Amino acid sequence: MNQLLAIIRKELIHIYRDKISLFLMLSMPIVLIILFGFTISTEIPNAKISIYDQSEDVQSKRLIQSLTASGYFQVVNYPKSEKEIAEDFSQLQIKAAIIIPPQFEKKLISEKEVELQVINDMSDINVASVIKQYIETVILNFENDINLTEFGKIGQLKVSIQMKYNPELNSVYMFVPGIITLIMIIITALMSSITLARESETNTMKMMLITPVKKIHIVLGKVIPYMALSFLSTLIILAISVWIFDMPIKGNIFVLLILCIVFMFTSASFGLLISAISKTQLDAMMITMMGLFLPTVLLSGFLFPLDNMPYGFQLLANIFPAKWFILALKDIMIKGATFIDIWFYVAVLLFISTLLTIFSVTQIDRRRAS
Amino acid sequence: MYTIEVHNLTKRFGSFTAVNNISFQVKRGEIFGFLGANGAGKTTAMKMMCGLLLPTSGTARIAGYDLKTESKQIKKEIGYMSQRFSLYDDLTIKENMTLFGTIYKVPKQELNERIEGHLTELNLMKHKDQLVSSIPLGWKQKLAFSTALLHHPKIVFLDEPTSGVDPIVRREFWSLIYKAAAQGVTIFITTHYMDEASYCERISIMAEGDLKLIGTPTELKIQMGVNTIDELFTHFVNR
Repeated sequence: MNQLLAIIRKELIHIYRDKISLFLMLSMPIVLIILFGFTISTEIPNAKISIYDQSEDVQSKRLIQSLTASGYFQVVNYPKSEKEIAEDFSQLQIKAAIIIPPQFEKKLISEKEVELQVINDMSDINVASVIKQYIETVILNFENDINLTEFGKIGQLKVSIQMKYNPELNSVYMFVPGIITLIMIIITALMSSITLARESETNTMKMMLITPVKKIHIVLGKVIPYMALSFLSTLIILAISVWIFDMPIKGNIFVLLILCIVFMFTSASFGLLISAISKTQLDAMMITMMGLFLPTVLLSGFLFPLDNMPYGFQLLANIFPAKWFILALKDIMIKGATFIDIWFYVAVLLFISTLLTIFSVTQIDRRRAS
Repeated sequence: MYTIEVHNLTKRFGSFTAVNNISFQVKRGEIFGFLGANGAGKTTAMKMMCGLLLPTSGTARIAGYDLKTESKQIKKEIGYMSQRFSLYDDLTIKENMTLFGTIYKVPKQELNERIEGHLTELNLMKHKDQLVSSIPLGWKQKLAFSTALLHHPKIVFLDEPTSGVDPIVRREFWSLIYKAAAQGVTIFITTHYMDEASYCERISIMAEGDLKLIGTPTELKIQMGVNTIDELFTHFVNR
């Protein structure tokens, strides 16, 4: 036990002293989440919208005028009912509909707050958030205009956003489990197997193998610190998702953390496997990239929906643990699933980890260093 | 009493015979030089004796334990230091020694005393918190030797320990070897330097997997009718 602790301690010193790697490992989750989280396309010219003017007075006309003149929007229809709005979404592919309430002018003058309803097509969260910003900008300008000219102070226009098609903000929760998966794989599986291979390439591994310490302790001593580091990264990702991107966690946070720990073991078992079969750093890198990283990105449902894939690929996806982890994670976050609801996914993950660990340990013990 | 007894040890890789049926004994506290050109089979023989490689045939008793069945016990009783320096560069001197001492299960208190003893002996006490990457090669070699002795092994295997260091450091290194041998540690050393071979009590010469000669340096020179170990060595290497 002391031997294992000594190796873990040594490994932690390695990690701590290699400032560049440490910085990369800790900043990677932040960079990834910000890349995925914030929109890449920032400009959407001439977005199609509909305006349902229930008031049809001077001020509502002026608001419509401001919206069309802004250059952000192309008003494709002026529907006369909520039903017509729904048709516009499906037939004219509008991105948003704005509903101006009845007696708009009167309310502006007499009331403190006037609600302006915006229905947003959330199927693409990035587009939706940009459009929302555009609308808010135009409305702010409009308010300032009136304030300065006729009425003096008027009631504040409050924009209430109604979400259509994807009220749970699909892509926000889609990318967080995926990023956690990638980070776990990169840190736990890739980093541990690469540094293990590095020790074989330098002479230090030989030195270790001559000592009475068990081989499995050498490998575990490698993997455990990286497991801890990947868990830390997971916490960072979750914190950013919740506090910056308002990601919902409807289920119990402890169930969620337990699930993350289970997946951490799964990643670690992949780390063991890669360590067992690769002899050089390059091997470790290639095996992780081709055998683990790419399938995870492509076949986990993280970026590309599994439902649209050929049946063969859907079957193939089942053997990669990322799919099960992402399913379970989403159930907890969105549907508020309890442990009972996700036990099957956890069981699959544990099954895969156990299988891989047993295989790797026998491989590691069998191989005599040369 | 012999601490190393090798009987008909053989290692084949496919059709290539790296070590061919070698036998010899080494006494407790003896400094035994293991010579041979590159590719003569020295390293393979040494790896088998350290328990890193299984022999194809033959047996050996290392520190009283059987090579095939008791390799775990053997590992506890031997120390090893390699040609290429093999401590961790990004650990300090003290951290390296603590790591290997702990792996060999030296009790903590005892380990600290031994580390302090070795560092004082090497005059490195005030550098103990320096990273190994920042110290000169000569220090590293001496440090690696001391680290290999931390758990009081019965045998220390030295694989070309002095290659690349200057003559002064080599002489200092050899005084450490003599000191350890005087305390009863068996020294098994490979070297490229023929002057070092003459520091050994007995030497052996390997060529093409065979153990060609074994004896004291003086005996061998007389036996082969040569004046220096150098001539002795080239005689076998050029054949």
